[in-house]
Amino acid sequence: MANRYDAVVVGGGLGGLSAAAQLARRGRRVLLLEQHNVPGGYATSFVRGRFEFEVALHELSGIGREDRPGPLLRYLESIGVAQRVEFVRIDDFYRSWFPDFELTVPVGVDACTTTLCEAFPHEADGIRRFLGRVFGMGRELDHVNRVFGRGVPAPGAVATLPWKARKLLRYGSCTFGQVLDRDVQDPLARAVISQAWGYLGLPPSRVAFTYLAAVLHTYVAGQPAYVKGRSQALSSAFVEAIEEMGGEVRMGCGVSSIMVRNGRVDGVVTADGEEIHAPAVVSNVDPITTCRELIGPAHLPTRFWRGLRASNPGPSSFNVYVGAAKTPAELGVVDHETFVNAHPDHERHWERMGTLDAPTELVMSCYNVCLPDVSPPGTSVFTLTTLQYGDLWHDVAPGDYHATKHRIADAMLESVEPVVPGLRAAAETVAVATPVTNMRYVGHQDGAVYGFDQHPWDSHVFRLPARAPLGGLYFAGAWTMPGGGFEPAMTSGRIAAEMVHSASRSSLRKGA
Amino acid sequence: MAERWAWILDDLGQYGQIWRQSRERIESDSGRDYAAERDRVRRTVEAIHPPRMQLRVDQVIRETATTRTLRMSRVDGRLPPFRAGQYVNLFLTVDGVRTSRPYSISSAPGAGWIDLTVREKPDGFVSRHLVAAVAEGDGFESTGPKGVFHHEPLIDGDDLVFLAGGSGVTPFMSMIRETAAQDWPRRITLIYGNRHPRDVIFGDELRRLARGNDRFRLALVMSEPPPSFRGRRGLLDTARIRRDVGDVAGKTFFVCGPSAMYDLCRGALEELDVPEFKVRRELYGPPEDVTKVPGWPEAVTAGQTFTVRVGQAVLQATAGEPLLASLERAGVVVPAVCRSGECSACRMKRVRGEVFVPPNTGVRESDMALGFIHPCVTYPLSDLELRL
Repeated sequence: MANRYDAVVVGGGLGGLSAAAQLARRGRRVLLLEQHNVPGGYATSFVRGRFEFEVALHELSGIGREDRPGPLLRYLESIGVAQRVEFVRIDDFYRSWFPDFELTVPVGVDACTTTLCEAFPHEADGIRRFLGRVFGMGRELDHVNRVFGRGVPAPGAVATLPWKARKLLRYGSCTFGQVLDRDVQDPLARAVISQAWGYLGLPPSRVAFTYLAAVLHTYVAGQPAYVKGRSQALSSAFVEAIEEMGGEVRMGCGVSSIMVRNGRVDGVVTADGEEIHAPAVVSNVDPITTCRELIGPAHLPTRFWRGLRASNPGPSSFNVYVGAAKTPAELGVVDHETFVNAHPDHERHWERMGTLDAPTELVMSCYNVCLPDVSPPGTSVFTLTTLQYGDLWHDVAPGDYHATKHRIADAMLESVEPVVPGLRAAAETVAVATPVTNMRYVGHQDGAVYGFDQHPWDSHVFRLPARAPLGGLYFAGAWTMPGGGFEPAMTSGRIAAEMVHSASRSSLRKGA
Repeated sequence: MAERWAWILDDLGQYGQIWRQSRERIESDSGRDYAAERDRVRRTVEAIHPPRMQLRVDQVIRETATTRTLRMSRVDGRLPPFRAGQYVNLFLTVDGVRTSRPYSISSAPGAGWIDLTVREKPDGFVSRHLVAAVAEGDGFESTGPKGVFHHEPLIDGDDLVFLAGGSGVTPFMSMIRETAAQDWPRRITLIYGNRHPRDVIFGDELRRLARGNDRFRLALVMSEPPPSFRGRRGLLDTARIRRDVGDVAGKTFFVCGPSAMYDLCRGALEELDVPEFKVRRELYGPPEDVTKVPGWPEAVTAGQTFTVRVGQAVLQATAGEPLLASLERAGVVVPAVCRSGECSACRMKRVRGEVFVPPNTGVRESDMALGFIHPCVTYPLSDLELRL
């Protein structure tokens, strides 16, 4: 019986780690398999010279404020992860930089509203109205999470939901831009307000209103945070917690297929050919690859496969990591997070993401601002990220790879030069990661970082649910409900685990 | 007010639109044909970063009495692109021990082959084997090209100084050959130290490239030349570097050679006021004598042995030797790559026992806190239990 588990989790990204942790907490015998020798997927770090670089995390949501813990922090406490890491809170949401304008958006609903209204006095009424919609919806979202976040919801609470979550319901079909159009016209004001679209991958005219509003709400009404030891510390803490609760984790162990028997999943076969049986498999591999390469489309309803085909993978990322031989003070850096825009038209920034042209927008984190000793004394460390659809890179000839990579990275360093003068001259180490790098370490379709593009028709209730139309198969990660990002990925794992847990309980009740 | 209600109706009405559009997209089956893209991600990745390559020795070139260049082609696909200065880790079995060694590629990128130039080290059981026993037609498995010791055009500028010792010239040879093939877009000074003129690798080619070329300056330095030797004598010290490099401002320095040479160069560069962040050093394996590394506990001698338990295996490990060597000798398969502490491919967990990790070994902060080690640059200080 050594090779039999209650559930096998394929993939040790945050979705998979979270699913395994929640299952272990529920007392399930769970085994997590990860092909790489380090856990975390994109939530990882790497060492180059005397620097250790953060791969993906810019600002973590859901940790909340010192006096008001956020939903993610409460969840991480419940599974014994929060106790193993130290979170540091970040003072401002972001600095939005344009060639002839810049504004730092602070944390706090009032401070944020005041700052934006003062920066754009001619639009103050509209901005106030719009942020009222955003934060109003955010409060509703908190309410919904409270109703569903604690076991079986009370019937009364469910009955009043349509009224108590009326903004969510109403705006659930809208794009962010559509709602913003009604309140704010100034292009610069619109650009600053919707700046965080980079955390979702679609520009205001396309991204689901509920998603970008939720991002604003969680960082502004809550507070952005970072992890001491980088996101790798968070991923590794999951592994420790899973093992302490009796779960098993095998690193460096890929999966070659998910076994199907009598129309149900029956476990997995590892890359080494070992069969491991389980009535439930949670796949943290993207659903396209899971169905195509681990299961075979034949085992899934045609309609489901067509549904996947109707969605499109969102962008991948292009990262430049810089270790500089100067302190943030010497470089004049005071912000953790800076969005650097060549112009205020996010729609055109997004169109550029479909090409291999030089990026016109990127986001830069300087981790020494919140963690001064994150790099050796006298130095500072930066992650520059821009988004780009990864399928472009399938067509880059291997011989052109380094030149293409260099051209894009060079343009990114050039574009931060006016923001952080002298950064390049002080750079001791640079490392560049393309969408191919993402594919190499994580293996997702096109190296996507946020799963499927988060259009209104691919978000919230319309997004791929954790439960697949094949008995015992579940998905976790950015591709499923709720969506892309660190906190959503962990939430998705929790949701998948709860589904596995309740399905196995009900099958026990039925005596199956 | 009327406008507000109209908007609300619009927003709710959009749900119908979303539902209809989604249904159409699904019914028409018009989306991207993912099924046809089976293995596409893997193929894209492996064309650039093959995890493993099967190589065949096409030619063995005698460079010096103790140095051979193994010219190899790939038999299981095309050679991936690489940056001049990168290495491959060669897997091989010597005297029954499955081990690996990273070797810099000495040929320029773009050729249909890669050259690995190996000098026999007096106590190197792998290098001795490669120099003495490898013949044309032999096959090897290797990793894809790895490493970050290459000219980085994003920050390194076009004025480069290469400081090489012995077989440490190999990555520079690739960079110099590439630069020559591109008609010298960069200015290079190579100061190349050896004991004796007969030890110089690539001497003829380097001299030919330097002749009449104001973009490539070559300084061959001998530490123990015969009395008849008329060239530069001595070591890669401050005076030597000052004389051959001149003004150091704006130049990026690359150092590859034995530890002793690196220590000497580092002191010299410091004296010449070369900013530390303008000095690149190739990874060069574990320290030659770990007991001399600051922090080594006096109570433990290099020869002391300890019992190491890893999975089902129980083995003896010597304190003065990297754990990886002991593991490999006992037949434990560790997927090591850089063998210098930085790449983390050999990462494993220390469950019990004490180890010594030299300062600045590239272990992640969080890994350090949780007891993970890179056995390629980790030394046992007590009996150990490890987990792969």
